[in-house]
Amino acid sequence: MARRVGIVGVPPLVVIEEINREGDSIVDLDEPQIRAPIDQTAVYIPRVYCAILRTVVLNCLHLPLDMVYIDVGPGKCDCALHVAEVLADMLKVPVIRTRNRDTRAFGHPLCTSRLPLIEKFNRITKGVQSAAPYPPMEACPPKCGFWGVPPRDFSLLTLFPETTHVFGWTRCMENKTPADLELERVFDPAIPTVFFSQSFCAKSALAKHLAAKHPRAIAVDCDVAASSSTRAKIEAFLELSGIEPGKERTP
Amino acid sequence: MLLADFGTSYCKILDTKSEGIPRIVATRDLDRAFRADLATGHNAARRSRRSINELTALARGGQRLVDRADFVLLDCGSRDIKYVRFRGGEVVDMGWNAECGASMGFTIELLSTYYRLDYAAIPPPAAGFSITCGVLGMSHIFDAVVSGASEAEAVARFVRGIALNAHRFAHEPEELYLSGGLCANPLFVASFPCQVHPLGRFVLLEGLRATLDELPVSPLLGAQ
Repeated sequence: MARRVGIVGVPPLVVIEEINREGDSIVDLDEPQIRAPIDQTAVYIPRVYCAILRTVVLNCLHLPLDMVYIDVGPGKCDCALHVAEVLADMLKVPVIRTRNRDTRAFGHPLCTSRLPLIEKFNRITKGVQSAAPYPPMEACPPKCGFWGVPPRDFSLLTLFPETTHVFGWTRCMENKTPADLELERVFDPAIPTVFFSQSFCAKSALAKHLAAKHPRAIAVDCDVAASSSTRAKIEAFLELSGIEPGKERTP
Repeated sequence: MLLADFGTSYCKILDTKSEGIPRIVATRDLDRAFRADLATGHNAARRSRRSINELTALARGGQRLVDRADFVLLDCGSRDIKYVRFRGGEVVDMGWNAECGASMGFTIELLSTYYRLDYAAIPPPAAGFSITCGVLGMSHIFDAVVSGASEAEAVARFVRGIALNAHRFAHEPEELYLSGGLCANPLFVASFPCQVHPLGRFVLLEGLRATLDELPVSPLLGAQ
């Protein structure tokens, strides 16, 4: 009988291949899977903590799972390492720690494609559940850039035009090399770029650092949901860069 | 063409056909049916045919009013504070604090009415309260008055605390341009630990004018 396997972060390819081979179904615990107040997790982890990992705990509180793979290596973060301890005590199913150091590059065609940004992120995050190579996609000339991790609140992505190129850890995700810091550091200085990080995430230091190096960039962070001021900052940044936020669509 | 900056406490409205100065209407007194052609601010999307966000309006207004390539422009409103920083004529940083900057301007106005104070007659104090928002800061005033400070002195320290907080929010520039109704408050302006150039409360309207100049004549907006 097919099992329900929860994953946190990007487990190594061999793990994904094994799950697929067994015919088990994958549940991405980094994404909101259920509707419940996130404060329910406060019994287990602090309220002032990465919203992605709070979401992981919330999902684990409600979803029936047969096992969980949680990546705790350089391709994820120390917070995940510690939350793995919490999950192991909280759940009655096996919680398996992995350290993804995969180096086989799958490419990142979605990151440079012309699609609504939210669709790119949906496909990239879904892509983690498969070990199959990507079909080729035509790259578009970029008007702006989004650097960072997939946000907890995808509604933030609707502000960007379809010609947004994706950088940072999301690009590493699509490339299936989540620990590739060289790739994570890449940005395009020729296009206005939003450097995004989740509030309380260690990557916010890199976001701020790279934004300072970039000639036209802002660094923003966001916790559980995008506040009106975060949205306004992004909107204004795009507008003042000559890009009409969220309006550009494929003819 | 009606341009409007819908503030939380006051709305600034300009009819571009008239050469007069904009009119200021208390938000609570504004006709609920009023609609602008181009607007910014609170509920602007609902109350106008076209709207831009306040940071955009602030930046464009600052660009029109300040003849410098490098400067910081800080807007202190009733409910929030926001800033834009220009370098080489372009916006390189910005911020909008609607949460921790809550109700600063509103509270300053409220206190002057409550204690019947004239801010022009109060000298800036040497030190301010350490406060992060108008609402939380009020308890400092009550504590100071209970401890023997005069009401004017306590409120002055509150106002200075607000100014210091706004200055920190704008990353502590040595010089800044100030936008918003608080430009008319001498105590507030003098409480900043840096050189301040008050631009008045119509900077966002100026940003709307700049936006209007850049827009093509469209069926949405009609002829100017």
